Amino acid sequence: MNLQRLHKAWDHFFFTPQSPIPIALFRILYGICVSATVILLHSDWLDWFGVHSWISLSTMTAVEPGIRLNLFTLMPQDDRWIAAFFWIFLGFAVLLTIGLWTRVSSVAVFLCLTSIQQRNLFMAHGGDTFLRVVGFFLIFAPAGAAFSLDRLIRVRRGLEGPEITPRAPWAQRMIQFELALLYFISFWWKMKGDTWLHGTALYYVIHLHSIARFPLPGWVQHPVILKAGSWFTLAFEFSMGVLIWFRRLRYPLLLLGLLFHLSLEYAFNIPMFQWDVLAAYVLFIDPNDLDRLWRTIHQRLMRRTS
Amino acid sequence: MTKKNQQKNNASSKRPKAGDLESRSLSRGAISIFILFHLVAITCWAIPLDFAVLRGVRELVSPYMRWAGLFQSWDTFSPNPKQDNSYIKAVVITQNHHMHVWAFPRMEQLSFGERYRKEKYRKFTEVLPEQKNAALWPDIAKHLAWQFKSQTDPPDKVLLIQFQTDIKPGIDEADAPSAKPNIFYEDYVQPENFK
Repeated sequence: MNLQRLHKAWDHFFFTPQSPIPIALFRILYGICVSATVILLHSDWLDWFGVHSWISLSTMTAVEPGIRLNLFTLMPQDDRWIAAFFWIFLGFAVLLTIGLWTRVSSVAVFLCLTSIQQRNLFMAHGGDTFLRVVGFFLIFAPAGAAFSLDRLIRVRRGLEGPEITPRAPWAQRMIQFELALLYFISFWWKMKGDTWLHGTALYYVIHLHSIARFPLPGWVQHPVILKAGSWFTLAFEFSMGVLIWFRRLRYPLLLLGLLFHLSLEYAFNIPMFQWDVLAAYVLFIDPNDLDRLWRTIHQRLMRRTS
Repeated sequence: MTKKNQQKNNASSKRPKAGDLESRSLSRGAISIFILFHLVAITCWAIPLDFAVLRGVRELVSPYMRWAGLFQSWDTFSPNPKQDNSYIKAVVITQNHHMHVWAFPRMEQLSFGERYRKEKYRKFTEVLPEQKNAALWPDIAKHLAWQFKSQTDPPDKVLLIQFQTDIKPGIDEADAPSAKPNIFYEDYVQPENFK
């Protein structure tokens, strides 16, 4: 591929305008995931982030040195301020979900999210990390260009027409890249472990008491099934990292991924992880398909109301 | 104005001007650099390889990645999943030699709803006993001392104990040996810690 063709492909991939419906849907799902994550932290908020928390701010900054985007370093170390921070964070997460002051809300949510993780890096699981890194790119996306109060206000004021304007999808592509990377790197790490290659890894995983949720049927614990399951995990993670970029394979993989994560949600107690990851699946759905679906729903709703 | 002329005018007003094109290509160029930088930085940060060039890139982008919150590792259950079940208990000994035992929430002993709310303790207690996190232990002791603060009988000493049972394929869990305790931290607390 010569440079000109590469430039064209790059331009097409990142800048050819497309419907912002996928990113708008993602914004809603992302907002719900962040809100749920924050609500789940409420009962122990001060134990994690308060003045007398498990890890003090000074220790955290000592073990993780360097300049960080961390609002805790700026706010007074007073439990009332820290408790208020919870409500501010939740407020912006809700605003982002409904799409009001979308750009400002996305910046605020990212700042709050990265702050709580920087404040205590030792309690975040992969889902939290995923929310943090994709939250960064969501800031740059036209996330309020559809299904948002911002758009409703703009249409009412006559600043926008009824048709949703296509936008450059480069920020959406970065979030897609992050999702694919999550799977591919997970696959790569697992390839370094004997238990995954020998097919015994799942045996250990399902016997970890701390993540067990609902009881698994006996047949799942059969050595053959566990081996197949371990190898399937490798194949699936590789496919989601690499083959997801091929249009023909995309929908079957997304369906497989949905089933995979729902089964993990049943079996393991890693709250929000599966939903955090699944939320980004919507970005891989063809905007035309989403557009068609939206028009059908819209028409049916209009017919019912008229 | 004829309809034809009107159409022509509309078309020319929609056509981007030379200045617009220039600024658009400039902004595209800037965004492309931004994208390329992030693609390279994130990939180099996340891939599980370790050689000189990669280390160099990581070192170069590290301040930015840490500042912006873009650091990431995707190594859940890998390279191998944990092969033991463990939990942590703390013992707080007071100045009058009373002992309080405090257990970090164990997911398997919580209700469905509580498991959702307390899951952060699962992750926290998983990494806490690791030697590389030893700098955190005095803070944990301070927090526990603060929880048991008392004017008459203040905390004096805190012990952190990890209980571990190996997961052994083929062995029924009912026959598994009882958990082995390991005191990974033990120290006196200062009165100013629980004020």
